[in-house]
Amino acid sequence: MKLQTETSQGVSKRAPEKVMRLSRLGSFHQSRLSFMRILTRRMTRENWTFSRPVFAFDEKGVGHAVYCAHTPDRTYSLIAFGHDLPADQRSDRVIAERWDSTFTLFDGVPDASDIARLEQNIPLQEAGRVTEKELSVSRANRSVRLWDHVVSHLAAGTQPDPEAIAKVGYLMRTTAVYGSGKLGAADREMIADRPECAAPFQIEMLSVFLTRTYVRDLVQHVADQKGGDKAVKLNADIARSMGIGNSTGLGMAPFLVNHPMLFNNWVAAREEAIATVRNLAIATSEEAAAFRDLLDRSIVSADLWHSAHPIQIDKLVQLRVDLTKLAAHVAQADLQAAQPWDRLFSWAESALGEDAQECLASLMLEPYGALVDHLADQMSDRDRHAFRIDGAMRVAELRAILERAYGWALDIDWAEKEQCARAWYVSAEKLEPRLGERFEEPIAAYEQPLAPGRDAAALYAALQDEDGAAPLATFLLAHPEHRHSVRRAQVVNRAPYAEIRDNTIGSDLLPIDMLRCKLSFFGATHFDPRSDRWVRICMFGNAPYPEELQAMKDDSWSYPPSARDLS
Amino acid sequence: MSHSLNEIEAQAKRAARGAGLPWGMAEEAARATRWLASHDLAGPALLADVLTQNDGVAHAQVAPAALDGVWRAPSGPLCPLAGGAALNDCADRLTANKSIEMADVSFPLLVLPFAAWAALHIKQPVRLTWQDVEIDTDGVGIWVRDPHSEINTDKTAMLICQKTETRQEPASRPGLRGTVASDIWARLDNFAKRTYAPATDASRLLGAGAGTSDND
Repeated sequence: MKLQTETSQGVSKRAPEKVMRLSRLGSFHQSRLSFMRILTRRMTRENWTFSRPVFAFDEKGVGHAVYCAHTPDRTYSLIAFGHDLPADQRSDRVIAERWDSTFTLFDGVPDASDIARLEQNIPLQEAGRVTEKELSVSRANRSVRLWDHVVSHLAAGTQPDPEAIAKVGYLMRTTAVYGSGKLGAADREMIADRPECAAPFQIEMLSVFLTRTYVRDLVQHVADQKGGDKAVKLNADIARSMGIGNSTGLGMAPFLVNHPMLFNNWVAAREEAIATVRNLAIATSEEAAAFRDLLDRSIVSADLWHSAHPIQIDKLVQLRVDLTKLAAHVAQADLQAAQPWDRLFSWAESALGEDAQECLASLMLEPYGALVDHLADQMSDRDRHAFRIDGAMRVAELRAILERAYGWALDIDWAEKEQCARAWYVSAEKLEPRLGERFEEPIAAYEQPLAPGRDAAALYAALQDEDGAAPLATFLLAHPEHRHSVRRAQVVNRAPYAEIRDNTIGSDLLPIDMLRCKLSFFGATHFDPRSDRWVRICMFGNAPYPEELQAMKDDSWSYPPSARDLS
Repeated sequence: MSHSLNEIEAQAKRAARGAGLPWGMAEEAARATRWLASHDLAGPALLADVLTQNDGVAHAQVAPAALDGVWRAPSGPLCPLAGGAALNDCADRLTANKSIEMADVSFPLLVLPFAAWAALHIKQPVRLTWQDVEIDTDGVGIWVRDPHSEINTDKTAMLICQKTETRQEPASRPGLRGTVASDIWARLDNFAKRTYAPATDASRLLGAGAGTSDND
């Protein structure tokens, strides 16, 4: 019995060597610790109220609106501009110059002069300029097919086809949401002390949450203008099933590498939550039932998840098979006794693929908000000392760190072409991050520092002839080219999930793995790659609208209603 | 123009890299520039100056030749970024009542952020002195004495960094925005542009990986 008790406390966080591989990071799923859900829980808990003081559009949807979110302490306002965009200018790329709608999240309530100023700048996006009163800048394009489908149905007095809606999932997709000081907006430091901004990306998530409401209202407005007396109101359940899309390219991938401490805190919080649940000795029947319900709904979600991309089609086939297998196992498993979650997870690790394992890891947290939700407070980066290199550290100690944290990279022959076939660079065109072929394009001179494994291996080699007892300060004076890697190694020594432990420049790299990882922490679902480096997703699908937040019994909205509930 | 500190840091990092600094040095130069800008000091302008002065010069030419005695470059002026980075690396020396001294330093104000980080590390204020300038910092706030307006000088024969006592009078605190004149921004931009790959049709099509129509 004593042995069993000890074992029940003994599951630690999963090893970074296991978690931080690209294929696993590229299989992550949203969870209770996703930034969208952290936000909706807070909005409900604190009784945020919402208002729409301005909504002025013509029959084509050209005009502007203001949506206000009132927290207990302050107001944030989304200012939305609607435009008439010719089809030949509709592009989700960063290099686009016009969009269907453009937005900014304003700190407070804008007055007429603010609106006039922003009207001159927000529609231009990167070519415009904002101030510290603005917290984000973003834009969105219509899903043309679904937009037209919904407008024509509502105008004709009928509801849109739920299947057509499920196929796309959203009426508009954002193509960039800029925060943290971009284009002159307020730095994160300006708002980081506010409780509602403590978790990462809460401003960006709020902007998207309000954007979804704007899109619902705008499509209704355009349908009403078109249909006149014949037009009907969009059914609330259908409206709720729609999220906001997001179309994302490579710009997001370097973020994980460029913010190692922040990335560590995201992954560490989720791993801590998983370990906490695996260490539970028993589960109550209510907890087991809640889990089973959400597993059912995960299966529905996987069925609704569409992609035309071969990689994702294969992953989806495997995920659906695995979830069915998991459901069959769960149906006959005792989920209540003898460390049930650890037993279930250990079984999954041997029986299921990574996608289903990560889906299960997120699902297991669901009944345990009281145990894991507080970890959201640890997901920001407040460590202002992490940037400083410890120059007093001895060479021998750094060598040992490199062997521990970058062992995988020290085993790679980086001179082989396929190991370093790619290079990340920034294009002169709107500073768009791109990935190129090192040996086929003239890009190596412009390479960004996004290959930590290769660079750590080079550092390790350079240290070979150094005196192990010497301080790093001396080495760094002679080798400033290694400062970048020394800093990273010292960060990963304190923050084990800071580094992707995989090759980020190899010929077989799939940047969509990095995109999915980041987007899963946002709370995105239904990843739909358009290529190996471009992905569309859905945000806030099935989430309550502002006026529905208070009726939310729990925050399981990210799982679609089960087949039972729909029938 | 008013800029966010993130914008200033990002621009400074690209400029420093464009001027040939290794990535790790560029990161620190950018943080230093941001730190100075948050105190409304001339970080961006002095960065542009030092990058111009050392454009195309190897790091070893302008870095301390050795880390004992008075630090000096092998010949010519010492780069404040190279000297500053080494100062921060050697911060522990300051705790033993030892000072760090550098000779022939260009744009000495750029050393201040590194001294500030050293102060945070040793958890004690440090004092930076050159000519008649005396600046104390606890890592966040600063106390400046500059009777002859030498704070932005382009060169000093001697710079001394040592630990000091905590000051009683209130410090000048950092702000959350920075002001950078458009000509300074343009000078940094000229360096930054060197880091951008010229767009080609192939990279436009393949490099970002979109390629498909978005009219669906």
